[in-house]
Amino acid sequence: MAILLALTVFLPLIGALALVLLPGLDKGAARKIALGTSLVTLGLCLALLAGFDPAVTTPQFAAGAADGPYGWSWLGRPDVRFALGLDGISIWLFALTGLLGVTCVLASWESITERAPTYYAFMLTLEFGLLGLFAALDVVLFYIFFEFTLIPLFFIIGLWGGPERKRASIYFFLYTMAGGLLTLLGVIALVVVHMQYSPGHVLTFSIPELTRGLSALPWDEWYRTDSWTSPQVLIFLLLFAGFAIKVPLFPFHTWLPLAHVEAPTAGSIVLAGVLLKLGSYGLIRFNMAMTPLATQALYPFLAALCVAGIIYGALTALAQSDMKRLVAYSSVSHMGFIVLGMAAMNDTGLNGSVIQMVNHGLTTGALFACVGILYDRYHTREMSQIGGTWHKFPLLAFFFIFASLGSAALPGLNGFVGEFPILTATFAVSPWTCAAATLGMILGAFYLLLLLKRVVFGPLVEPHGHDHGDHGHSDVPPIGWHEVAALGPLAALILFIGVVPEPFFARIRPAATELTRVVERQREGAARVLAKSDSIPADAAVSMLSREAR
Amino acid sequence: MTPEYAYQTVQKTLYVLSPEILLLAAAIVMITASPFVRVARQRWCAIAAAALAGGILALIATRDVVPDAYAAVVVNDAMSFYVRLFVLLSGFIVLGIAHREPPEGRAAEFFGSFLMIQAGTMITASANDLIVLFVGLELVSIPTYLWLYLSRRTAATQEAATKYFFLSIFSSALLLYGLTFLYGLAGTTNLKALGALASSSIPYFPSLSLGVLAVVFILAGLCFRLAAVPLHFYAPDVYQASPLPVAAMLAWIPKVVGVLAIIRALTAVLASRELGDPLINKVVLLCWIVAAATMTLGNVMGLLQRDLKRLLAYSSIAHAGYMMVAITAAFASGGARGNAFYHGIEAALYYLAAYAFMTLGTFGLILALRKADGKPAATIEDLSGVGWTNRIPALGLTICLLALLGFPPLSGFMGKFQIFASAFSAVEGPEATSLRLLAVVGMLNAAIGAFYYLRIIVLMYFGKSEEPLTATGGWPVALATGACAVLTLVIGIAPESISRACREAAASANVLPDAAVDAPPAVAGAVAAPATAIISD
Repeated sequence: MAILLALTVFLPLIGALALVLLPGLDKGAARKIALGTSLVTLGLCLALLAGFDPAVTTPQFAAGAADGPYGWSWLGRPDVRFALGLDGISIWLFALTGLLGVTCVLASWESITERAPTYYAFMLTLEFGLLGLFAALDVVLFYIFFEFTLIPLFFIIGLWGGPERKRASIYFFLYTMAGGLLTLLGVIALVVVHMQYSPGHVLTFSIPELTRGLSALPWDEWYRTDSWTSPQVLIFLLLFAGFAIKVPLFPFHTWLPLAHVEAPTAGSIVLAGVLLKLGSYGLIRFNMAMTPLATQALYPFLAALCVAGIIYGALTALAQSDMKRLVAYSSVSHMGFIVLGMAAMNDTGLNGSVIQMVNHGLTTGALFACVGILYDRYHTREMSQIGGTWHKFPLLAFFFIFASLGSAALPGLNGFVGEFPILTATFAVSPWTCAAATLGMILGAFYLLLLLKRVVFGPLVEPHGHDHGDHGHSDVPPIGWHEVAALGPLAALILFIGVVPEPFFARIRPAATELTRVVERQREGAARVLAKSDSIPADAAVSMLSREAR
Repeated sequence: MTPEYAYQTVQKTLYVLSPEILLLAAAIVMITASPFVRVARQRWCAIAAAALAGGILALIATRDVVPDAYAAVVVNDAMSFYVRLFVLLSGFIVLGIAHREPPEGRAAEFFGSFLMIQAGTMITASANDLIVLFVGLELVSIPTYLWLYLSRRTAATQEAATKYFFLSIFSSALLLYGLTFLYGLAGTTNLKALGALASSSIPYFPSLSLGVLAVVFILAGLCFRLAAVPLHFYAPDVYQASPLPVAAMLAWIPKVVGVLAIIRALTAVLASRELGDPLINKVVLLCWIVAAATMTLGNVMGLLQRDLKRLLAYSSIAHAGYMMVAITAAFASGGARGNAFYHGIEAALYYLAAYAFMTLGTFGLILALRKADGKPAATIEDLSGVGWTNRIPALGLTICLLALLGFPPLSGFMGKFQIFASAFSAVEGPEATSLRLLAVVGMLNAAIGAFYYLRIIVLMYFGKSEEPLTATGGWPVALATGACAVLTLVIGIAPESISRACREAAASANVLPDAAVDAPPAVAGAVAAPATAIISD
């Protein structure tokens, strides 16, 4: 199975190389190759999902798991390994990437006409990077994929984007790259700390081993989080820099609306659907699992950023007249929920966060696809110029309403399944935070229904003065098969997760429990250190060592 | 020392130096013969390439000759072997880029000087003696003046050559002054013997004040070669005024000799000392400041440049800063730290290898892309839209620029990873904070620097082509730059082979071999420390 996983990861890259190297491809052939590749990748993802054993908590489909380290040797010394594997947290994001890969190809089916082979090649390369990232079990490999995803999207935004595309792509690249470099230092710091203080001075880059080793480090300083300069807090902040920008959390979100508005539809789908999850996934894998005490100590700070993002994102979304911008700001708001849930660091919150990552990918992906479909026909995203599309495209209206309600967390659809545990977990830790976040949910319903009211309902409004003639858009094409094929599976999953979430939770739960166990071990270590020394000042800036103190 | 032993040592030394001797002989023959025979430019270039190939054969043939480290003026350890091999191989790339540069009449002198520069670099790599080290450095400098002056005799190049000449002489004087202090400390010019003395328990050695003077002057002299602050300021002017192939050579060879000389004369000598030592403490502080200032200045000034050569000059200053980070780490950790997962010297050598390909590739590709009037692209705007008009060269340039930017999985990323990892893990405990802070400064610099490389890529692909460029230069340039781009990708994805060579080289540079039974007088009296394995493998 290890080979199958590696093949799944590399298949899109092979497809991309074929697209670049085969001479004389036109738009039709290119998109067929891209669709075929992404469909086979999706099939392999589903096969992996079928073969996934819910009861196992360690990474699955990894080479060499039985004896010794995971994966294949890559660098001899230090032992950086090409290690791939999936656990309950990554498998869903992995499968989501496979699914949205198909959606992206279908969403670009008609709209991309210029340099189509190159475009699809970048799309598939991006999918390769994302699949590799979610499957990586080695910190260096993780980081390489983390940064690698920038290049394809940089070109997708810069070459096929809107009028401001140049600025948007540079912004996107530099902002995320700057954060990513600090994250790299944080990763190096984790490895160095593990090497210098673990018994036997083990130099390892393996994510599971590091998580295990750091949770039982025989170094008292590691468990102290009573000042801003204690090692765990510093490493947390270094790691946080890159992930917070990627998520994006509130003050670091400024690159996102610009990138979303300028990106082509498929770029927006993959950006909101999967790329933002790199940040939250990194937060779970590194910040929560390896520096949990710092996460706990900085909870007030984290929660404040999340709540600010939730409210700010929602209010800003409310004020937008551009549909795409609205959905982009709603992403800021929803990603705030995801980070809030995981920051609570208990089973409920983690389960909620992971499922919400998938949910957000599905609903936001569908919303961006709907907006893109309208844009392809009317060449505008201004809500004042489009209205009553129900009368013209009932099928599109159906999907639009469905995705919006899913995103607004209507019970019975997927958003509810994710946000409810997140809020429950937050309430257990800090009721006021939960109350403030719930306000964001209400605002969420408000702006999404407002979007529906303006665009879907009411009398038919079409932009005038366009070169189609001044009698409105009588000749816009109807919804094509590829658009239905792009939206259909997303809508089905939105409903399915909403009604039967258990198969999803069943696979997430063991991995989440494993993670909370690690956190628990670190808390025990902290309690031990606290008991040993009474020199820790009571009024330290960040003093939340024991659970009770919270 | 018996006469037989002395004879044997000299014999072995000459064997070890045979590649350099071969290159120098070829150079002298070329320069002497040129007034008397008419040979086309390509022929001279081919002769130079043949000499390089001969040098490689001689190098491999003498691989196992090991002269006594405390008596001979050169060593033939792993560092000497791998670095010389790499320099010879990279010589083909420089030749490929420069093959059309000199005018017909001065081709022999041009390629002859190039062989001398190569030989000088190689002597620096294998030097085991302060005087030989200095000879190696001068053998690089003096032909470089010729290079600057020979290729084109315009007012601008004359100005550049003069500027470089005076500053270079000045820096050589500083260096020589520092070397005399080093000699005065110990009374020997043998570097291994100096290292053995430093590792021995002789009290008050090296004396702190004299030691600091020696290090300050040696570093000051070598900062000029590296183009590191405070002796960096010549680089933008000289690069801009020189033709591209000369600028490419200036961005590469002086950096190698600078780093090698620092390793041979300073880090390896002080390898037995660690951060607790008062001398090392001061040296680390000095290097810290030089590294931070060089990186920051290079990157910030790079942001303001529109001229390609000036931009690349500031880029090369910034990269000198990254190398100085690795050297700072090497000083701080000494030689015998088992738990730094990259040693500073190892990281510096790997970065040099990565830097060679990415920077030579960038220069070569810019040289190849010519405007309609036959001049190469001069400003970054000239490259607008080239991504769609000249796809293959633009792709290569993109790879090289992304590597300079430090993008994974290219070689530049691996290099930065190793450098910052070495700085991060060099020491433990409270002293580590300053080095870790240096790593943070370096990372922030990499983020700043990303902008000016990215701006070129943005123009190449998102800009509109105003004046179409054509790829010129024929197969030598194509081969050289293609090799650079491909190797940048390959040693990023599979860095193991280069990495292992760098590791062996770093370990061998710090090793102090057991003194021969017939110990030379230089080390008699010193408590010859047993050779310690420096980096565990």
